[in-house]
Amino acid sequence: MSLTIALSKGKLLAGTEDLFRRAGLPFPSSEGRRLVVPVDGLRFLLVKDMDVPTYVEHGVADCGVAGRDVLLELEPDVYEPVDLGFGRCRLVVARPRGASGVDGASTVRVATKYPRVASVHFLERGRSVEVVRLAGSVELAPGLGLADCIVDVVETGRTLEENGLEAVEEVAASSARLIVNRASYHARREEISGLVGALEKARRS
Amino acid sequence: MNGASHRLVQVPPGVQCFLGDEARRRRRIEESVITVFEGWDYEEIIPPLFDYADVFASQALLPKTYSFVGRDGSLLALRPDFTSLLAKIAAGRLAGRPAPMRLYYSGEVLRYEPPRAGRQSELYQMGLEHLGGEARAADAEVLAIAAECLDVLGVRGFVLALGHVGVFGGLLAGASLDAATLERLRERVEAKDAAGVRDALPAGALPAAVAEALVRLTTLSGDTAVLGEAERALAFCAPARAAVGELRQVTEALRAAGLGDGLAIDLGEVRGLDYYTGLVFRAYAPGLGFEVGGGGRYDTLLARFGRPMPAVGFMLGLDRLALLLDRQGARPGSAAAVAEVVGGDGLGAGLQRAREKRAAGVRVRFEGRP
Repeated sequence: MSLTIALSKGKLLAGTEDLFRRAGLPFPSSEGRRLVVPVDGLRFLLVKDMDVPTYVEHGVADCGVAGRDVLLELEPDVYEPVDLGFGRCRLVVARPRGASGVDGASTVRVATKYPRVASVHFLERGRSVEVVRLAGSVELAPGLGLADCIVDVVETGRTLEENGLEAVEEVAASSARLIVNRASYHARREEISGLVGALEKARRS
Repeated sequence: MNGASHRLVQVPPGVQCFLGDEARRRRRIEESVITVFEGWDYEEIIPPLFDYADVFASQALLPKTYSFVGRDGSLLALRPDFTSLLAKIAAGRLAGRPAPMRLYYSGEVLRYEPPRAGRQSELYQMGLEHLGGEARAADAEVLAIAAECLDVLGVRGFVLALGHVGVFGGLLAGASLDAATLERLRERVEAKDAAGVRDALPAGALPAAVAEALVRLTTLSGDTAVLGEAERALAFCAPARAAVGELRQVTEALRAAGLGDGLAIDLGEVRGLDYYTGLVFRAYAPGLGFEVGGGGRYDTLLARFGRPMPAVGFMLGLDRLALLLDRQGARPGSAAAVAEVVGGDGLGAGLQRAREKRAAGVRVRFEGRP
């Protein structure tokens, strides 16, 4: 049976394709709407970025490509043998520019797609926190009074700026990672180490 | 909180109910495993379902433990784990029994798990503990028993991945790292994340050789040839080298005994339960993304109960074994024999006929009429 690889349909897809092609590995063509795509001895699953770790943790996929931000949020029990080097971004706390902000309030209200990361970040610093979980457009929340601040990923910071926000604390740095199911890593050692080796080599080149 | 809002037939999250073929299959699996345990001269212990909370030694299990206050004010806990209970029994009730002791158990443990797919709060574990006795012999024995269980059940392609907590522990023995840094390092080594280990290394706090060796742990896994590589990479650190030496001794014994094929080495396997002190292992097989079981050596746990003694044990998870066998297409004992209908008019006479059939070992369905 061929190795199954779970890929995010989101922002990591282009970088993943580039790296796989440089590594001489097969990759599904960008046209087509199939979600399970066999290509030259590998089988690809195209899923939502937050779902990649779930497929891999359960062993439905042997490996996957996921952002470190997503891994921090979901804490899946998987191996993360390769930092693939692309998809670099930062998870930050951002608040309205010039707001005296989150320091004074006794409870921080934070809007985020990363409820676990956000609540741990504040709780570890001795702050009570109220998490408003959103699926997207998180930057709107402070301006509309839904939250005092947000925890979100930023690449260039332009979206923050356009919405009148500024990053005030870095929570973590992120980049794309190859993740591997624990059982597959041992039970399909040779195929997995071939894939890991090819991707590591391509990343360094 | 549920109050009247739940329907009476609703099932609380995290518990399961098995019936028919599934229940029968689980029973067959349990019987097969227990037969192997008995075959290696292990004795069954049926420990209590709850005990004083402080009996359960694992800090890692603490947040998952269902604990409650007893009528006398003592803090009690539903067992989240068998090993601590068996250690207590070996040190207390069996205090007069000479070592080595070979004990096994089969039953449920209860752990609070957040509602998340694939996690149950009620887990059925079958396991054994080898208490006292020569360490390497006991290590090799329990691994051989684990392999026999998986073989007997018909699990195909299983791998026993062996590690040793003394590798990671030995490398950091002299270092004074704070608990958070240590935990972060352990977690990144366990994730095989070399870049993450480098990030977690506190600048200047560790000798360069130690730092480099910690990063190497993320890739020191594979077949038993890894041991040679590890001996060279860890040559500078006596306790880590000694740990690898123990693994070599055990794997060589297993190989000589014909069990070489299913063995793997994983020196990045550093987590496990926090009372482990030596060899640790997990069993994997194609078809299931999680380990089906695992175990390890815990040489300091018995001292907690006042009878210091080395020990090693392992357990297999019945829930995961059943799922694995199903995925691999092996269905042990899934069909029940068809029952013969016995009865007819006259309750007494009908029942008598049914009893005769039963005495002959026939499966009967009694349908008597008065």
